Amino acid sequence: MQRALERKGIPTVSLTVALDVTEHIKPPRSMFLPFMMGHHFGVPYHKELQREIILEALDHLVEAKESGEVKFPPFTWAKARKEGIAIKRSLGLK
Amino acid sequence: MTETSKPNQLRLEVWNTVNERYPGSMISKEDFVPLSFLTKPLSESKLSFVSTSGVQPVGTMPFDTVHPIGDYTYREVPSNLKPHELEIHQLKYPTVGANQDINVIFPIERLQELAQEGVIGGLTDNFYSFIGYNMDPDKLEQKLAEDIADAVVKSGADIALLCPA
Amino acid sequence: MSLPYLKDAIKNGDNEKLIRYVRLHFGDGNEEAGSKEINKSWIEALKLLLDSPETDREFIFETLENKDPETLAHLYFHLHFHLLKRSGEWIHDGNL
Repeated sequence: MQRALERKGIPTVSLTVALDVTEHIKPPRSMFLPFMMGHHFGVPYHKELQREIILEALDHLVEAKESGEVKFPPFTWAKARKEGIAIKRSLGLK
Repeated sequence: MTETSKPNQLRLEVWNTVNERYPGSMISKEDFVPLSFLTKPLSESKLSFVSTSGVQPVGTMPFDTVHPIGDYTYREVPSNLKPHELEIHQLKYPTVGANQDINVIFPIERLQELAQEGVIGGLTDNFYSFIGYNMDPDKLEQKLAEDIADAVVKSGADIALLCPA
Repeated sequence: MSLPYLKDAIKNGDNEKLIRYVRLHFGDGNEEAGSKEINKSWIEALKLLLDSPETDREFIFETLENKDPETLAHLYFHLHFHLLKRSGEWIHDGNL
């Protein structure tokens, strides 16, 4: 998919939570997140984190020079979850 | 970054697990395709989003989650929709977060905000979504991937963000 | 198992492989779970018929007679998941 787009002239960046899969499929540009499957953009209601993840990915799209470069931004799942719980509390959700 | 500073993935051995269960379903590559590069600043570039999340507009034909060989269709998701106008049909990844806030897997509101603020030049009229359960790797690569890539090109996208769920 | 593996198994009459695949599909990659799921969907169907309620047999005959075998096979897969959903014991991650 990503390869097809690059071949058609569109620069792409993909997000991954499974580095071993990424190593096999060799996407042109990708960014790894040590997150739970299905939670590539973080945790519910954490708008700032969701936004940061997109911005980091776009930054990689601009900055990567070599095909296959994987970016490792400094997000952690433990921190994301903790912040997510605090945000939910502040919103009065459980 | 050096090898040692790589953070660990949360769920280990995804590749081996899938291959053990569904041998031959994963596509392995030995080479890297040459990169395309931006031709204008990000703030002038139109972004498209492609997702395997099974997100689709409410009321469109649900993805075929029961078919043993998979579903090779995709849905156009208008990029101006609100989360309550979207639903998810898929069985293969945990939607515990997405059920509360769809932006964790399909960040449509965050992308709308970034376009509104001028961080990116805009969004293509549609985003593209399909499901990840596909047992025919050739059809996936030669038909579905090409179909979506053609649609993205036609949509006038300058850049694409991809998220395999 | 990918499509080429399945076609190969059919060609070689390797039913063990095919059964394993069906179980993997129904059990989200877990053969034992898939086997249990198949039983669960049949138990759900059985429970619905215990008191011999009136059913639309004309619809059944008409469907079996008039629909192509591919649609019926597809319906079979749909019915499996439909009955499981009805049973209230849902082991899958997402939504149908």
